Amino acid sequence: MRIRNLLPSVQRAAANDADHPFYSLQRQMNSLFDDFFTGFDATPRSLASGVGAFSPSIDVKESDKDFVIRAELPGVEEKDIEVTVTNDAVAIKGEKKEEKEDKGKNYYYMERSYGSFNRVIPLGTETDADKAHASFKNGVLNITIPKSAQAKAKGTKVPIKAT
Amino acid sequence: MMEKEMQKTENVSATERIRNVKTFVPRVDIYEDKDSLFLVADMPGVDEKTVDIELEKNVLTIAGRVENGRIKDGTLMYSEYEIGDYERVFTLSDEIDRDKIVATVKNGVLRLELPKAEKVKPKKIAIKAA
Repeated sequence: MRIRNLLPSVQRAAANDADHPFYSLQRQMNSLFDDFFTGFDATPRSLASGVGAFSPSIDVKESDKDFVIRAELPGVEEKDIEVTVTNDAVAIKGEKKEEKEDKGKNYYYMERSYGSFNRVIPLGTETDADKAHASFKNGVLNITIPKSAQAKAKGTKVPIKAT
Repeated sequence: MMEKEMQKTENVSATERIRNVKTFVPRVDIYEDKDSLFLVADMPGVDEKTVDIELEKNVLTIAGRVENGRIKDGTLMYSEYEIGDYERVFTLSDEIDRDKIVATVKNGVLRLELPKAEKVKPKKIAIKAA
């Protein structure tokens, strides 16, 4: 823990709950159970690729209307990414290519990773796949998938009449 | 174990900053050929406007800011990465020709070319037949 976290005067107000270590632990536990119970549809991230190969980090947010998915894909070309949306899942496929010009050079640091990846994210709700759109900027992929009218309609309020 | 490896490394030595965000150490590749040294850093989310390269004496600092990284509305279902700035410091030797450093950013990858100074380039010595 950093010292400044212990100093009340400079302690940052937790910007949002998601930053709190407890929530992050809870989230990790949740995703562990999710990985298990969603069956083998969603390849756990740790198994999604070979050792040391590139696998993108993904954030998924759900709102009433849609799903927003963000993935960090630094160094991947737009044309090398393939996004497939089915009714209740989205697949991101692509390849981070190692620059060929690097071959045969002397390396001092090699921390970046390369390779092809394929990640399937089950959404668990019916989506309107036709209206999905994606953009790619500065190495970050952004996908928005609206929920289907049916899915949105779930939970319609039933008026109660006084008798 | 591996999952941990894939995640961003938080920069714990970062000094107190004005912006209320975390700082990460970008992953880099450094390699050389006979003319130059190359530094390639993965910094997803930065562009040429938000990346900052500073060379003070022989200390090279690369830094990047990520704006609007968070998805604003909705509940988080999966979260595999955190949003934050990038910063990493390198020490250069005198063998770099500082005036000719070239930097480019593309698809969230920063690429620096650090040309070697003339005096340290390998030279072939012609042998004269005596």
